[in-house]
Amino acid sequence: MTSYLLRRVPSAILVLLFASMAIFAVIRLVPGDPATILAGQDASPEALASIRADLGLDQPVLTQYLTWLAGMIRLDPGKSYMIGGDIGGLVRAGLLNTVVLTATALLFAVVLAGLAAIGSVLANRRWLDSVLAGANTLAVALPTFVTGVLFVVVFAVILPILPAGGTPPDGFFSRPGIAFQYLVLPALCLALPSAAALARFLTASLQTELGKPYVTTAQALGIRRRRIVLTQALPNALPATVTVLGLQVGALLGGAVLVEAIFAWPGLGLLIERAISDRDYPLVQALLLLSVLVFVVTQLLTDIVNAVLDPRIRLGGAS
Amino acid sequence: MSTGIDASSSAAGRPTGGLAADPPRRWPAFLRAPGGAAGATMILIVVLLGVFAPLLAPYGPAEQIPNANLLPPSSAHWLGTDEVNRDIFSRLLFGIRVDLMVVFIAVPFGALIGTVIGLVSTMYAFADVIAQRVFDVILAFPVLILAIGVTAAAGPGVTTIIAVIVLAEIPVFGRLARTSLLTVRAMPYVESSQVIGAGNTWLLRKHLLPNSLEPLVVQFGVSMSIAVFIEGAMSFLGLGVRPPQPSLGSLTRDGIRNVWESPAFVVGPLIIVTLLVLGFLLVSQAISATRRV
Amino acid sequence: MYDSLVDVPIDSVEPTPSLATDWKLGDDGLSLTLNLRDDVKFHSGRDFTSEDVAFSIKTWADPKWTVQFQRTAAAITDFDTTDPHTVVLKFDHKLSNVFDLLDVLPIIDSETFDGLGEGKAYVGTGPFTFESWTPQSELTFAKNADYWGNEPKLDGIEVHIVPDAQSLTSQLRTGQLDLAIGVSNRDVDTLVKTGDFTDTAYEGSERQYYVGTNVTNPALKDVRVRQAIAYALDRERIVADVFQGNGYPIVAPWPKYSPAYDEDINQKYSRDVDKGKALVEEVGNIPTLSLEYSTGSPTYEAIAQIVQANLADIGIKVDLVPNEHPTHIDRLINGKYTALWILDHAYAQWTPSTLAVTAYPFNADKNSSNFVDAKYKKDANAAWEVADGTSPEAVEAYRKVTEDLVENLFLIESNVTWIRIPVSTGVHDLAWTKRSELVLTDTWLDD
Repeated sequence: MTSYLLRRVPSAILVLLFASMAIFAVIRLVPGDPATILAGQDASPEALASIRADLGLDQPVLTQYLTWLAGMIRLDPGKSYMIGGDIGGLVRAGLLNTVVLTATALLFAVVLAGLAAIGSVLANRRWLDSVLAGANTLAVALPTFVTGVLFVVVFAVILPILPAGGTPPDGFFSRPGIAFQYLVLPALCLALPSAAALARFLTASLQTELGKPYVTTAQALGIRRRRIVLTQALPNALPATVTVLGLQVGALLGGAVLVEAIFAWPGLGLLIERAISDRDYPLVQALLLLSVLVFVVTQLLTDIVNAVLDPRIRLGGAS
Repeated sequence: MSTGIDASSSAAGRPTGGLAADPPRRWPAFLRAPGGAAGATMILIVVLLGVFAPLLAPYGPAEQIPNANLLPPSSAHWLGTDEVNRDIFSRLLFGIRVDLMVVFIAVPFGALIGTVIGLVSTMYAFADVIAQRVFDVILAFPVLILAIGVTAAAGPGVTTIIAVIVLAEIPVFGRLARTSLLTVRAMPYVESSQVIGAGNTWLLRKHLLPNSLEPLVVQFGVSMSIAVFIEGAMSFLGLGVRPPQPSLGSLTRDGIRNVWESPAFVVGPLIIVTLLVLGFLLVSQAISATRRV
Repeated sequence: MYDSLVDVPIDSVEPTPSLATDWKLGDDGLSLTLNLRDDVKFHSGRDFTSEDVAFSIKTWADPKWTVQFQRTAAAITDFDTTDPHTVVLKFDHKLSNVFDLLDVLPIIDSETFDGLGEGKAYVGTGPFTFESWTPQSELTFAKNADYWGNEPKLDGIEVHIVPDAQSLTSQLRTGQLDLAIGVSNRDVDTLVKTGDFTDTAYEGSERQYYVGTNVTNPALKDVRVRQAIAYALDRERIVADVFQGNGYPIVAPWPKYSPAYDEDINQKYSRDVDKGKALVEEVGNIPTLSLEYSTGSPTYEAIAQIVQANLADIGIKVDLVPNEHPTHIDRLINGKYTALWILDHAYAQWTPSTLAVTAYPFNADKNSSNFVDAKYKKDANAAWEVADGTSPEAVEAYRKVTEDLVENLFLIESNVTWIRIPVSTGVHDLAWTKRSELVLTDTWLDD
């Protein structure tokens, strides 16, 4: 195991390093000088120079890169130019919202997938399977911006029963009922594709389990199907499903950018959009790197989990 | 993975790329599956609407009609008119063309580059290492984050959308081509032809490519559907086409902006996007299912 | 939170007292003596004196802080602060727009000034004191019980930053907000229709939308092309469709109450496609021009598309180029636009001379259009260096500036508009300034 980690971890760090360079380089290519934007329309050359010096923009690019990298490693991403305040604080505030949204979406995905899979296996009806398969394909196919807009149109405009966007005005915890109303549309929208993937996997594993000899034995003993599914097949199918679930976390965080834009959810996705349009270099850089970090870590964890489950991966060649 | 397990049947249901070019006597297998047929029909409807847009559309895509500011749907304007007095139905038809163009240029292009890189990297270890790391870095960015970054640097426009899709597809196809090629190469029959002295190029052409093609074709369908999503998402975020050019994503964005005036403004693009995305996905599912049997 | 020395009422350019009770212009027009209130304390408890006036003006003139009217502040070269309740300002030259500056300029506390840049301390003399700031989310203010004027009726103010228009509107509907800034005209109309909101228009702090031209572009060098564009512009339609009728078409930048306003000039370039076409044909061979606009607001995009159609009517082809707002401003500041652009400007609501020395697109020395003209420079400075901003002499100087603007058309004005804010019917006595700031001093709420 240790040797496997020794192989995978440096490669992950390398990806992070390359990504940090790519991020830094691309951000410099962006037209529009943050100093002139900060200085405003009537800036004098002296003012510009003083702002550039304050921001360190007068340093050579390599120095800027190294300063930034050192800051990131020390977990001190610096200050935001435009929005104001400490980047750490902004990111934490955004992260809380994104995590609440993603966690709720994950919960929805698990519940929906569980209901669909168990329902399909228990009922064992052809028509129900067809309906569920159709719903599944739709959920996979429909882009989040389509479902999101559709939700807004139906539940906020035509039947105004749910808010069209935003976060609950007095936080998530003081009035959970209200908070839930704000969460339900974006979380559902974010959850659908993952729910579909999960449902497909769980149904398949349940069916595999039900084909195994112990089930036949149990049936022969006269134990009811429902009991077999819930007490035997489901627990056996769960571990693999959890791995798939882990993979979905990455997908959910990626999808959050669009969902946050549709529902004006002030998480990291909205923050990065705002940061880019404001040319807030340090903030953009920090957020991009964070997103890469999350991805790389998720990958690493999934690989490790798989390696634990399947010794062949651990011993075989790295790829 | 079902990749090329039964090499002898590869001629039977060899998937065709195009839809209109089907031989008259025999439909490809995937079209005989109900999902595949439905998917192909959806794509066909949208393609026809786009191709014949100039004939079907009552107005030009950028034509500003006097005294027609934000009109609700009526018999004169089926989907109403927008903020600058344009007929939304006409814009929708012309918007389809932009999406079709983006999708049919970007996906094949990205697939081609990716596949070539994937193939080359199976032959040279050094190229493999570099390609895999580059792919790692690209894949480490969620596609919309990638889009935001590229657009910030290059400015919005159709070319930027195409660039983002190509960039996002290269590693996908690169990885897939590499894996499926490696899988096929490990097959006993390939080893045996190597033993009897077959050349590398001959092997690649005769056995490896045709047999590793199937997962690529399935992925191609999925990528088409993702490309429609990327265009839509980018234009929705304002990173897409430049006005006055319409696209499905920009029409969705315009529609949602005025959704409180009339929800009808946003219905058109939603339906078309759904048809396209669902169509590509169903066809690719059908291809993969018929091949597996 | 802050007060200024004088207030310029929103519907005129004549100053009224605030921290300064009365004032007198020197006979030579080169000095101004202001008597100050003696009962004013900063939020920190310190007394307000003439030293604070000098400090505030000097800070404002420092290019490092780069603010509007910096040039005007820099023209105030000396201060006499011997009497703590009287300040004498000495000018480099006569300043017709000095009261605009004194209206805009906040009186700040020199002792806590260093904390201002860091966003920690905001100490002024105003009716509300700063309490807290959460970036991207919230600002809170509390009542200043020791306020020198009428005691504020509100106990405090919470400013919430709402990231999108939809949730802003829905929070208004549900009564979570009493009023909101940044709501589109259409949404304001919808809210007013519910009966729970009244509509407050910031008249007196107008903004002007315009089409800018880079006069160094070979195709736009010829003034006839610019005239053709001015004839092509469908200002009435822009006001009606983009601003829902909130505004009026203009040719010169001035709003109706401005001393420089001239009704005849405003009729000069009413839409006339035939005249525009004739001019375009006369010049011949105009290449496709780029029209840049900011993606910062859908308003710019809508105007750009209308202008594109208008110019197509007279035979000028235009490509639309969206810029992100910071890029757009960057190009404005550095005069980097290729051909045409769309933006809005303010400053025409003040003393007319302010425009040509403060608003970037109009600056006679260096402007976004790269328009350099000795006569315009001379006229702009002459208007600035008049002693009394409302005298007949000044009005005559403004007329010359207006003529230069309309003759050269380096900026083609489209229309005036104003910000509208929806205010809950439970909110009373709300006021605002020329700077588009709300004044909540006398505001009160229904229970």
